[in-house]
Amino acid sequence: MDEKEKQAYLEKYHHEKEKGVPFFPDIIFKDTVVILVIFVALAALAYFAGAPLEERANPADTNYTPRPEWYFLFLFQLLKYFPGYLEVIGVVVLPTIGISLLFFLPLLDRSSKRHFINRPIVTGATLIGMIAIIGLTVLSIREAPPPAEAAGGDAVAALYIRNCASCHGASIQVATGTNLHNVIAEGKHEGMPSWSADLTSDQIDALAGFILSPGGSSLFAANCSACHSIEELVASSPVKLKEALGSGLTYEPHKGLQLPDWSKTLTPEQQTQLLNFLAAPDGQRLFATNCSACHGRYVAYSGEKEQLTKTISQGGVHLDMPAWKQKFSEAELQQLARYVVDPATAPEGKKLFQDQCAACHGERVPTAATVDEAYDQIANGGAHQTMPVWGQVLTPEQLDALVNYIIQANQGEDTEAGQKLFESNCAGCHGQFGEGGPNPARPNSVITPISSEEFLKTRDDITLAAIIALGQPDLGMGAFGNAAGGPLSDEDINSIVAYMRSWETNPPVVTAPEIEIQTLVMQGGEIYQQICAQCHGVSGEGNVGPALSDKDFQAKNNDQAIYDTISKGHNNTSMIAWGDILTPAQINQLVAFIRQMPPTEKPATPKPAEGQDAGNPPAAEATPTVTPTPKAASAPVFADIEPILKKRCAPCHGAMGGWDASTSEKVINSGDHGPAVIPGDAENSLLEKKLLGTQTDGTIMPPGGKLSEKELNLILEWIKAGAK
Amino acid sequence: MMARLTTWLDERTGFQQVWQAIFLRKIPKVNWFYTLGSATLFVAMNQMITGILLTLYYVPTPDHAYDSVQYITFQLPAGWYIRGLHHWGASAMVVLVVLHMLRVILYGAYKFPREVTWATGVILLLVTIGFGFTGYLLPWDQKAYWATTVGTRIAGAVPFVGDWILRILRGGNDLSAVTLARFFGVHVWVLPSVLLLLMGIHLFLVIRNGISAVPTRKD
Repeated sequence: MDEKEKQAYLEKYHHEKEKGVPFFPDIIFKDTVVILVIFVALAALAYFAGAPLEERANPADTNYTPRPEWYFLFLFQLLKYFPGYLEVIGVVVLPTIGISLLFFLPLLDRSSKRHFINRPIVTGATLIGMIAIIGLTVLSIREAPPPAEAAGGDAVAALYIRNCASCHGASIQVATGTNLHNVIAEGKHEGMPSWSADLTSDQIDALAGFILSPGGSSLFAANCSACHSIEELVASSPVKLKEALGSGLTYEPHKGLQLPDWSKTLTPEQQTQLLNFLAAPDGQRLFATNCSACHGRYVAYSGEKEQLTKTISQGGVHLDMPAWKQKFSEAELQQLARYVVDPATAPEGKKLFQDQCAACHGERVPTAATVDEAYDQIANGGAHQTMPVWGQVLTPEQLDALVNYIIQANQGEDTEAGQKLFESNCAGCHGQFGEGGPNPARPNSVITPISSEEFLKTRDDITLAAIIALGQPDLGMGAFGNAAGGPLSDEDINSIVAYMRSWETNPPVVTAPEIEIQTLVMQGGEIYQQICAQCHGVSGEGNVGPALSDKDFQAKNNDQAIYDTISKGHNNTSMIAWGDILTPAQINQLVAFIRQMPPTEKPATPKPAEGQDAGNPPAAEATPTVTPTPKAASAPVFADIEPILKKRCAPCHGAMGGWDASTSEKVINSGDHGPAVIPGDAENSLLEKKLLGTQTDGTIMPPGGKLSEKELNLILEWIKAGAK
Repeated sequence: MMARLTTWLDERTGFQQVWQAIFLRKIPKVNWFYTLGSATLFVAMNQMITGILLTLYYVPTPDHAYDSVQYITFQLPAGWYIRGLHHWGASAMVVLVVLHMLRVILYGAYKFPREVTWATGVILLLVTIGFGFTGYLLPWDQKAYWATTVGTRIAGAVPFVGDWILRILRGGNDLSAVTLARFFGVHVWVLPSVLLLLMGIHLFLVIRNGISAVPTRKD
């Protein structure tokens, strides 16, 4: 606009203004009408829809699917199209361009034209911008993760929906050859977190399988999940899986079951889908399930990658075993054959095996289905064991992942550097040999050994690295990775993991520190007495926790339910997930131990000391001259309720801090939310609410269930009587 | 009597001049779309009033934030309603600001002599978005916590300075009490100050330059 145009505009505007209306009342009237409409709309929305309030923020709950407010949805959606290093376009470039265009609009469009048709560029750009924003918002809402019920009983689909769908939508396209396990476990870019701390290796593999073959997942849910858990099958050998599907009812474990013939009911395509779902390409796992039975933990290999791929995919004659019948007696051969088929039935064969076979076969007893077969193989030797033609079993992705893993594993890591780092960073809490010890972050809790075979076998390298890098906040372990502000680089962490791995082939210390004996070697009964009895009572009679010997409890819960509870724990109670600490075998021992408890009719609630029982003072002590029992009955004092508090509250509150039940003074005043008791006013006392389950915050106390009527009344009476 | 009082007051305040300048000024003939600015102003005032009422009971610490919002929602008389108005007012604010801006673009009202009015308006849009982002965390429920975790993490993806921005937003590496205090402070002190200042300038300029006329096909 030049000066002339400016003047022309001002004059024209002045003229229109003169012809116009006064702001008050004409314009004000219009404004008021619109404002009223808006106010009514707001008032109605506030009245009928209200403002939502979800559960209290829980930083530990990584299953929560975050959603931004609706007016940020378009940005959220936009970011999905710029993954990885492109993210900067969505985060910085596009918003900056958008805002700059807006801000400098008057400088960019300086013509004197004002009608929108005379400004096609601005009008067009605005239109496109608005369509883009509305379109992205609609897309974001439509791609919103379906509620978990939509998974229709498909547990893995539900896992996917909970963890992945909020960013990735209903499905993910993956380039062939991607090691999905690593991507999920390590995270990929800002915004895709590392999942290894939150998901088990099995879950990650199940997810990888789901992403590669969603159809397989629904087939699994429909056909297999009634008997098999996904964790069980992803860990099994592809050969077995293929056999189970292909051979129908002749497949040994399926014999005699009311099962359809999978080889007929499932089409070949479906079988492939199912197999792809069940055997996700994770090199380390593939090696463990397919190769380690014969090869142990490592295959020494230093050749070319192509050669290795060829060897694995084509299989071949693997070992030449001598014909042992020339050396062994008939009895020895028989003994060995029986030992090989089932070591338990012929322990005497162990020595023979170790002397003669272990040099080649290692610790492992090669399996043979029958004694005859084993006898034949031992006696005649030869190329008895052929490496399978893996090319027929594994998908190209799996083969690739397997080869990469073997080559990587062979590059080796400097365990010495790892050992030094371990000693300076980890040994303080975990002990020099990973044997564990008292947990400095949580009183009365121990750090279980991390050098045990069980621990190392159940966690892959990525998981271990992630635990070191990100810590385990719930267990009091800080983050050690650079990325999280810790002292260790990725390289450092890898060498620590390599050092820890070296324990697996070469288990540390036989002279176990005592803590190891306490935690690792314990058997069912012992674990129960050491750990569970604290809350559930020495013979399962219950105190803080529910009574396990109770008939009702025993009837209501099957073994699986008890196992699950021990393994997964209950949220927000001191029943933590013991599955992280105990091995499955130990949990099974516990289940068995709980099952053999002599049943009791009612939970044997602990009684306050005899004679102080509010209702019925025992006759023996009711000598009026000595003890004024009627007084105790009408107004209980602290001594009356002390045994209850001691038994039912102190096990946790004594050790965990917070509220203190040791004296009447402390009962009234201590605790984070105190005062817990308002003397004389039971109804408004926090203690009463907690005991009756009417509290607004936290859970009922004790967490195992209400106190008995008698105990409750006594405590309430005590409060009403002034809490003396 | 009334006339004498008016004169007395006017001699001392000059209010009549102000009244004339604001309320009796002439306005070109305009249509209903021109009410969007006033509507935005109204919702902004709604947010201030309900917001001030909410701060009387809200406690910006992770220990008590959720409890205080629960108290406001379930126990305080009409607390749920005030919260509802504030919640829906926030959405209405965003909608109205955007519609108001579209009207200005459509009618070419950002042009001479109203360029500065436009610029303050764009900043006001950003302030509104800032209100939405900071206010979302305050209830300290799951949605608040995780949406802010993700939102601040996205800011961390900015090259070179991302980490620094993330730490400034969160007041550390993780979402914590500091983050909540920070978001509360910005939501309740910083942004309202900026909003009032810019709104003052914006309105002053609107009155000084007059509301733009509806352009004709020839304009």
